[in-house]
Order: sequence, then structure tokens, then C-alpha cells
Amino acid sequence: MYVAARGGESAIRNAERLYRDLIGAFDAETVRTIERAMPYLVDRVMGEGSLYAPELAALALAQSGGDLYEAVLMLRAFRSTQPRLAYARPVDASSVLVVRRISAAFKDIPGGQVLGPTLDYSHRLLQLEVLDRDAKAQGEEERSQSGEQEEDGEEAGMAGERSGVSNRNYPLVADWQRDARLLPLLAVHPCPDASEIPDVTREPLLFPAPRAMRLQSLSRADTGGVLALGYANMRGYGAVHPTVNEIRLGYAEIEITHPITGELFSIGRIRVTHAEVVTALKSASVGDGAQTDGDTKLHLELGFCATVGWNEVKTIAGAMLDLAMDLPDPHPSHTEEYVLYHTDPVESSGFCIHYKLPHYVTFGSELDVVRSVGEAKRVAGLGDYYGDGDRLASGMPGTYSERPGAPLVPEGTTEQV
Amino acid sequence: MSTIAELASPNRGYSYAFLDEFAKRELRRRILKAIAIPGYQVPYASRELPIARGWGTGGLQVTLALVGPDDVVKVIDQGADDSVNAANLRRFIARMAGADTTTDASRATLIQSRHRIPEERLQEHQTLVLQVPDPEPLRSVEHNISKARLMHAEADYGLLWLSLYEQLVLYRRVTLGASYPCLVHHRYVMSPSPIPRWDVPKLHRSAHLTLLSAGREKRLYAVPPYTDVRPLEFADVPFRVEDQRGWTCHRTGLRNKFMNELPQTGGGAIYEISDTGFVEKVLRRVSDREATGSTPAQVAPAQVAVGATYYDDEGRFYIDGYLK
Repeated sequence: MYVAARGGESAIRNAERLYRDLIGAFDAETVRTIERAMPYLVDRVMGEGSLYAPELAALALAQSGGDLYEAVLMLRAFRSTQPRLAYARPVDASSVLVVRRISAAFKDIPGGQVLGPTLDYSHRLLQLEVLDRDAKAQGEEERSQSGEQEEDGEEAGMAGERSGVSNRNYPLVADWQRDARLLPLLAVHPCPDASEIPDVTREPLLFPAPRAMRLQSLSRADTGGVLALGYANMRGYGAVHPTVNEIRLGYAEIEITHPITGELFSIGRIRVTHAEVVTALKSASVGDGAQTDGDTKLHLELGFCATVGWNEVKTIAGAMLDLAMDLPDPHPSHTEEYVLYHTDPVESSGFCIHYKLPHYVTFGSELDVVRSVGEAKRVAGLGDYYGDGDRLASGMPGTYSERPGAPLVPEGTTEQV
Repeated sequence: MSTIAELASPNRGYSYAFLDEFAKRELRRRILKAIAIPGYQVPYASRELPIARGWGTGGLQVTLALVGPDDVVKVIDQGADDSVNAANLRRFIARMAGADTTTDASRATLIQSRHRIPEERLQEHQTLVLQVPDPEPLRSVEHNISKARLMHAEADYGLLWLSLYEQLVLYRRVTLGASYPCLVHHRYVMSPSPIPRWDVPKLHRSAHLTLLSAGREKRLYAVPPYTDVRPLEFADVPFRVEDQRGWTCHRTGLRNKFMNELPQTGGGAIYEISDTGFVEKVLRRVSDREATGSTPAQVAPAQVAVGATYYDDEGRFYIDGYLK
């Protein structure tokens, strides 16, 4: 009996100690190694943890032995204690320092396709020779590599120069489409006051969700969850087959207003991803997003998703879902409420593992119903509030009469067992 | 030249009771609203805590928003103070708030519980915080939360009544186990959280405040003191609690308290009272009595006072006529 995992606090301490023994000790160097060697993993944790802090994400990974859901939970739990000190200026997507941007919608695009760092066209062959390499040689190579990295400057891992960051301006594909009247022009309105933008981490999510909350939720959603629902959409449950208009990975400059001088200054660059998908829809079915020149029956509709960190798969699937959620009568698994409620990594994984907790009270209550239903069907009548009888109906497995009717401790004595 | 990293504060500490003051203020406002509208589900932001979601983070946020250094906190899971999850939450609350802890339901000012209400009657100075996995009593008849909210607004509970009636037709009784839906203050139907039906009457006109909070679902609601809470029942088919009349606790020899059924190797089962804090007090009272040879009246009340219970030894609920 595992409430017999009673013992409570000492059991907890021992369980945690066993876990720590299993994953082994780690130190600041381990954390730096994870940050440097596994940037995509770090980005996934930062994206789902909705906190851009590579060092803390790497620490969470080290502390959890690489258990992603645990790492995300740790980062979120840390994040939820942090005050919101300032609001950054909005990042203009076209100002992102691009390391990779591709469009599947056109063969070539203004500014050009930039393949950047990717494994997309590599042969996914395990480099088994790495394992065979002489340990000494390997050591030397690591040393020389770390030497190079120091020269690269302060950014570890996906360092700017090495990954081909460019200051060139890459206009947005969507802007070209707007100029060509393929997409409706963006309404000109002043940038909203950042403090008025709904914040999913500070306010409850209600439906229909403000668009800001939807995009925030997608941004911190579970990669696997968004992929599963997005894939169902792509595979045929969605009404449309969108095209990747543009996916863009790069570094965004984060600028805030100085609290004293009021001047704008950069607090650093963060890795960001945004994906935009596009599809042609019947104008009548979506209402006022339609082209304005009267007799056109189709228009293009965008879906969008952005994350901190480089998370290509999630942003593509998320953008597909964003598009699907806006369609009239979307498949149930693509409605806003369904998607946003079921893709939060902390909520879904937490609820899943909560089934490990004891449930004997609720199960006992259920057993009571199962037994009395059998009995009720037999006597075909309704009894007092206690139920119809204290004996299980014949025909139910494990007959009730086999149980000891008498208490083990005779009444009147109360010695502790 | 200084770097930003050098200038930034290390920020290693946590706020009192973990939550920052903004989060606490939000929670307190939502709690006040919940008390003002009994049974109404108030949405709240629900912060992540360093405890897995679904493990009591809703109850924990409410507890952390209310707890002070003078509080005495009791945490129970399925009735047990010593289950690992209860021990873990208690350890966390004590660590973050410096509050005293207890297993004695009468001594606690703040009780956080998963799926049970103690057997001893709670008093006016006490607050019970119930952890809620699913706050929506209409979930089984309406999956969509936006539509369910509308149904609550219109007190449109026809589908729920219909589902109870269907159960009667099919099984000759209502087949709901724990989480039995209740009408609060004659207005909102609420889920009392997965407490057994045995515990549902304890919410009716209770002296204490009950707060129910679902962290994952981001809803909290309340049963203020002395509020009517009625399980959904038909005039001719009354609500029934679990039938454990034949069961005797193997530790105390008592009957008519909510029991756990413990399967035995070789078949059969023995039973024990689920409320471990209550059992502890009953056993201690007996051992004190034996040790001193004194009569019950002579035993120091502070040590062993077992409070009045909701159900007496014959299984009668303390409010006459509530259970038909």
C-alpha cells in the first residue's frame, strides 16, 4: 500500500536522493555545457517555459536529468515569482537579424531565401565514428573547439557569426503580398500601450480569447501537443491546405525605455522564431478580411505563431492551428478552447502524472455505486439513503459474503494495530 | 566597465508564502468575489508553482494567499495527513510561510484537503481549502466551457437533471460516486470536488468557510459559512451517501465514519477510518485513559479532545432531516 509511501517527509527526501544519485552530480560547468551543446533543447524549454533565460533553462535541464516537462515546470515556477519590471518595445519582424528565413510560397523572394543553419537536407546518419575516436584525440579537439568559441564573443552555442547572422534587411513576404493587394493592408493604428495588452500569465484565459492571449498561449504551448493537433489539421481534419508563407529564425533586439532618462536602449538580443502560413479562402466564409475590389471570391488568410528561441516545428504547427481556429466551424480539435486548453505542457503533464496520487476515496465511492447498482437491479426497488442493501448482488465478481463481517478488533477494545 | 549581469541583483529569494504580492492580491480579490457569489466559479490567472499542476496547485495558491505566520496548517490527501503528497504540500507551506502545522483538525486554522472533509465538525474560525481537479459540474453534459458558463448564468441545469434521470432509468439509482453536484444557495450548481458523497452534507450550513480552487482549470469558488448546499436529488429519490454500515474500523473499532477498504491477500477486506487525524486522536484518548486509569472526564481536554463529529456513532447526520 503506497499511502504507505507514508512515512511522509523522510520518504520524500529519500526518493529525491535516489533520483539525484541516479542522474549524478552537476555543477556550473555542466550547465554551461548543456547551454552550449544543446541549444535547440534549451530553446524548446525556454519557449514552453515562456522565459528567455538560456542559463536557467540549462540549469533546469541539468536539475531534472533532461526530463523536459520537469524542466519546463521549474522554469515556469521560477518565472511566476518574477515581477514584470518593464515592457519592451514591440519587435518589428522585418528588423529581426535573420539567420534563416525561407518561404515555400515562392521560388524566390525579395531578399532571397536564406537556408541558414539546419539539418533539413542532411543525411540523418549517426556519426558512429565519433564513438570510435581515440579518447585522447577527442579531448584535444574539444579543447580546440572551446578555444574557437571564446573568440566568437559572448554568445555561446548559436553564436551570431558562426550561424551566419546578417544585418541585411529581409522584407517580409507578407508585405510584398500586401503591396500586391493579395493581402488586405494592415490597418494603420498607433502601437497599443504594452501594459494594456492582455497577458495570459497574469489574467485568466476566457473564450473567445483575445488574439494576444491566443498567440501567447501558442507560444508557450507544448511542442508535442501543438504538433499532434496541428498534424491532425494538416493531415486532413482541417478544411484547408496552407502554405508556409515565411518562417524566420533570427535574433531580435529587445529595447526598453530607460526608467530614469526615458531613452530607448537595448538590453540584448534573443533568439526568436516566427512562422506564417497562408491559404486561399472563400471571402464570404470569413467575412471582412476579403479583398476590397468587389468581385473577387477568394482571398488569402494568414496564420501566425512566434516563440522565443528557435522552435521551427512548433511555430509551423502553431501557425496552422491559428489559421484553423479562425475558420467557421473548425474541427472540434481545432477550436480555440480545445487547442489552448489541451496544449499547455505544465497543465497537461501535471494532470497526467497526478493519476499516480492515491485515489482510494473516490474509487471507494465508485465501488459503492457499482455494488449497489447490482443490488438495486436485483431487488428492483429503491431503499433508504444508505442504499439498497449491504450485500453485493449475486453474479458480481468477488462476492461480498467472503469478506469478514466481524471487526478484527472486537468492539470495546481499541488497541493500536 | 560593469556588465549588466554584474549590476543585476542576484534575486535568489522568494516572497513570503512564495507568491509575489500581485498574485496574492489578485487571489484575494477573486476569493472575495467567490464568497460574495456562493458556488459561482471565478476565473483567475493561476500561477505556476514549484509543484506539478494537478497536484493541488489550485488549493495551494489559495492557501498561500491566506496563510500568515500565526496560522496552524493541516494538509490532508484522501483523508491522510501522512500521504507523501500531503506531507510535501505541508512541508512547502511551512517552509514558505513559517506557519505551524498540525494533524489535528480542531487545532488547525487553515486546512487544505484533497477529496475529504474531516469527520470532526469544523468551526467558525476555520477555513477549509479543497483542491479541485475539475470545477465544472456540467462537464459531463457540456464539454465547451464557454457554453457551460452561459448555462450557469441562465441557471440552465436541465441537462444535468436529465442525466440523473437517465441513470435512474438505467440503473435504478443515481450512479454518481464522488464529486456529487450540489445546488449552492439555491442558485449555482457546483462540484464539491471529488469528496465522497459522505462528505457532501458537511458543506450544508457549515460554520466554516470552504474555498474550492482548481489551479489547472483556473477557477475558484466558495461556500460561505451557513450557506445552503443541497445535493441534486429528486423529491421521491433522495440523495444517498456511501453504504458502509456494516464496516468497522480495525484500528479504533468505530463504525459510521468514512472508511477505506483494504483488500487482504487471500480475499476479503478490512476497513479503517479514512480520516487519519481523527483516528490519531481517538487512539491517543484511549491510550491516555489507560495510562492514567482516569475516566474520560478527567483527561486533560487540550491533549485529547475529540470534537463533535458530523455523523454520530449510529451514522446519524447532525442536522436532522437533511438526509432523507
